[in-house]
Amino acid sequence: MFKVENLNKVYPNGTHALKDVTFDVQAGEFLVVIGLSGSGKSTMLRCLNRLHEPTTGRILFEGEDVTHVKGKTLRNVRSRIGMIFQHFNLIPRRTVLTNVLSGTLARTGVINSILGIYNEEDKKKAMDYIRIVGLEGKENVRADNLSGGQQQRVAIARALMQNPKVLLCDEPVASLDPATSHSVMQYLKKVNEELGVTIICNLHFLSLVRQYASRVIALKGGKLIYEGKPLDIDENWFKTIYGEEAVEVTID
Amino acid sequence: MDMSTTNENTTPDFLQDKGLTFKKVRANFWALFIDVFMWSYTILVSWKIIYEKIILGLRFPEFSWNQPLIALGAGAVVAIALHMTKLSIGRACMGLMKRDENKPIFREPFMAFGLVIIILTFIAGLFLSQVSIREFLSASGLIGAKRIFTALFNPNFNIIADATFAAVETIYMAFIATAFSLPFAFILAFFAARNLMSGSPLTMTIYSLVRFVLNVSRSIEPLVWAIIFSVWVGIGPFAGMLALMLHSVSSLSKLYSEQIENISEGPIEAMTATGAHPVQVIWYGVVPQIVLPYLSYTIYRWDINVRMATVIGLVGGGGIGTMLMQYQGLAKWNEVGLLVIVIAVIVWVMDYLSSQIREAIK
Ligand SMILES: Nc1ncnc2c1ncn2[C@@H]1O[C@H](COP(=O)(O)OP(=O)(O)OP(=O)(O)O)[C@@H](O)[C@H]1O
Ligand SMILES: [Mg+2]
Repeated sequence: MFKVENLNKVYPNGTHALKDVTFDVQAGEFLVVIGLSGSGKSTMLRCLNRLHEPTTGRILFEGEDVTHVKGKTLRNVRSRIGMIFQHFNLIPRRTVLTNVLSGTLARTGVINSILGIYNEEDKKKAMDYIRIVGLEGKENVRADNLSGGQQQRVAIARALMQNPKVLLCDEPVASLDPATSHSVMQYLKKVNEELGVTIICNLHFLSLVRQYASRVIALKGGKLIYEGKPLDIDENWFKTIYGEEAVEVTID
Repeated sequence: MDMSTTNENTTPDFLQDKGLTFKKVRANFWALFIDVFMWSYTILVSWKIIYEKIILGLRFPEFSWNQPLIALGAGAVVAIALHMTKLSIGRACMGLMKRDENKPIFREPFMAFGLVIIILTFIAGLFLSQVSIREFLSASGLIGAKRIFTALFNPNFNIIADATFAAVETIYMAFIATAFSLPFAFILAFFAARNLMSGSPLTMTIYSLVRFVLNVSRSIEPLVWAIIFSVWVGIGPFAGMLALMLHSVSSLSKLYSEQIENISEGPIEAMTATGAHPVQVIWYGVVPQIVLPYLSYTIYRWDINVRMATVIGLVGGGGIGTMLMQYQGLAKWNEVGLLVIVIAVIVWVMDYLSSQIREAIK
């Protein structure tokens, strides 16, 4: 699915956020990325769909080198990669339905999308996904009037509208309470298992990692320092990844 | 080289931290600058106004450019002499003065000096604006005032049709000025928004240029623009409209661009990530965040423009202001009285409506 080779990212201010990161992502995986705050998780995710420009290195997506593609090709690549954000990033003052339909922008013409004209198939699909994420009846509610968990589910439906091959999730549950976190993670798991969408997800809680991940990679100071099964993260690895003083907190 | 080498002997402990040294030098510079300015001002005002005008009673004291220079020189000497004492306002302002936090601030010597400056300014101001209780209460003055007020309170309702028509002209003029300024302001705002333009040196140059032009055109009063345009296109509503339009473009661009600078990046990022075209990103990620504030600013601007159009009318910009000017020139105070009432009603209605609408769309 993804093949990342010697990826480096240096921000204009000189921060070297990613150092020679190399890894593969297989189709159908639920890959979780862990690491301390500032270790480069968000940067890495945003390099994959080129919201950030990689400085050096290569990114292959479905066999195609996407490291430097531009314009229409880049938009086409992005349209095949869904993204979920910590703060949901829904369009304020717009309805749930409009938000979900905005996932189809890449294949809706510019003029049509400005006039709000979507094809019938997409509209039907949007209603289906709204039902699947459990928000039936809320289609015409303003998205910013929903609770955090509901907003994140709208964001999932929006990403699914892209017919994505892979979903990038940047701390999707970091601003939600434990119960809601689990419900959102369950939806991601369902998307992964039932729709076969590959998931790459940044997470902070190891208990969630053990429960949902099929494979884990860990970043520390921009370097990839661990790659393996979630259950293989023992006390020693934990201390290496999070530092000597760290104590594990659980979420249940 | 850099700051740290020049300060090596004075502040060795800050050598490691160049940024801090630079900040300290800058603060000291401003402190001294403020002190010199305060003392020069005090000397100049006491000399030219308090001493020559008030004490000597000279009507037109001689002025030459040497005088402010002398004041500046003397001010600099005094400021430097007293810079390290507790009288230094500059050091107090820049937070360089070590003071006892428990002592009330108004008992500090620099506060007394500040008070002296304010009193001096007040006295000079009274004198320069020729405040005179005698003229305010003189017999002939009071009779004149009484005549005008009686006339004003007996408005002549015969001209109400003309007055209403003129008022409608003013409102339309303000509306057209607002409407014409909209597209210009809408486009300029994107170029004047720092977050959109900070990408490259080229866009940053455009940003600074646009900001500069907007600031200059905004700082010139519409009244002045009206005079300029009345020479250009002839006296009348069109000149007034152009003046209002120009001012509205610069004000609205500024307000719009501030709104753009305040939008949250989240939706933009999300739309970009779906693979949307840049136009779609703006339409879905930016526009929903700005339309309502834009609408509210625009309505407010129309409201302001109606008021300004009245004032511009006074210099021949047409509408009710021009009418007011004509009757005032003929000393027809009853008619003026009616016009004042009409203007007050319009301003009040516009103000009320625009605040109601703005409240409703919040
Ligand atoms: N736009 C930027 N410009 C400059 N430096 C940045 C930028 N974004 C992130 N950084 C820096 O890059 C490093 C990695 O940041 P990143 O956001 O990827 O970390 P993270 O692992 O996602 O952290 P968190 O868990 O807090 O989200 C940090 O040192 C951060 O300060
Ligand atoms: Mg992050």
